[in-house]
Amino acid sequence: MKLENTKAQMRKGVLELCILAIISEGEAYPSDIIEKLKENELIVVEGTMYPLLTRLKNAGLLGYQWQESASGPPRKYYHLTDEGTSFLRDLLDTWNQLVNVVTQSTKNLVENE
Amino acid sequence: MNKTHNINVGGYPFTIDDDAYASLEGYLGKIEAHFRRSEGAEEILDDIERRMAELLQERTKNKKIVSKDDIKQVIAIMGTPEDFDTGSEFGEPEGNTSGREYKTGKKLYRDPDDKLIGGVCSGLAAYFGIQDPLWVRIAFALVALGGGLGIPIYLLLWALVPVAETPGDFLAMRGEKINVKNIAKIVEEQVENISEQLSEIGQDWKSKRRKKKSERRQRKSWKDHL
Repeated sequence: MKLENTKAQMRKGVLELCILAIISEGEAYPSDIIEKLKENELIVVEGTMYPLLTRLKNAGLLGYQWQESASGPPRKYYHLTDEGTSFLRDLLDTWNQLVNVVTQSTKNLVENE
Repeated sequence: MNKTHNINVGGYPFTIDDDAYASLEGYLGKIEAHFRRSEGAEEILDDIERRMAELLQERTKNKKIVSKDDIKQVIAIMGTPEDFDTGSEFGEPEGNTSGREYKTGKKLYRDPDDKLIGGVCSGLAAYFGIQDPLWVRIAFALVALGGGLGIPIYLLLWALVPVAETPGDFLAMRGEKINVKNIAKIVEEQVENISEQLSEIGQDWKSKRRKKKSERRQRKSWKDHL
């Protein structure tokens, strides 16, 4: 049992939620999303972002628009679809339940420390 | 002095040093191999290339030529497939490598373990999934009696179809997956076969001596294959 593996699994679990939440604030460019995720070590390199966004897009949760860029090729800006919005809401409910359970079950641990 | 290349990354032209070109080419090759079987692979690769073009354009604003260091920096931002695996990528769960299967298509072989003449019929039976090669033999016999084509066809197949030799051949002949477990099964069967042969040899040594000698030689060449 490797601690690093478990940590990575936990991060993976919340990554989708975080990406959808960031995009829900407004149209987003992948490297901007990454900047926010990097701060929390949720994602380290940009390359991991593209397959994930493609998957969410193909699942109908995200859409994108091409926008001209001053610095280079046109960029894909992602936004949530209606389906994505309700998906995000469901995920958030589950996350809140999880937080409750984890807080409850680790309460004694935290108090003892 | 350094040789340069003119390349197109994500639809944008770049002039790039020779060594930088090699490292970019190697990187994109690795990325492609990594995502080849992912859903939407083409789009992912396109996105990555486009983003790399953007990063390279930012870096080459005040100079004309992409250097190896530029490529190194851009790769550090994008990450290598090794980073994807240890990072937060949504990949398939890591399977146990011992159970890894290599699917093979069924292949037509002659079966040296179950033959009357050349093993053609038993090989055909295995190929078409017929339990008992007897049916194929009867069919061949009927065709041979009927129009006379059966015998030339048999001889042709005998000449053209290879005999199954390695455990991999046997599995491919039966259309089984080639993995460690199945190969072990084949080897076990062969060992059993050999011990059976040996006890037979013991029983009627004299009458079969000549024939068995050649067969044992065959078995030995078999074992060498393993």
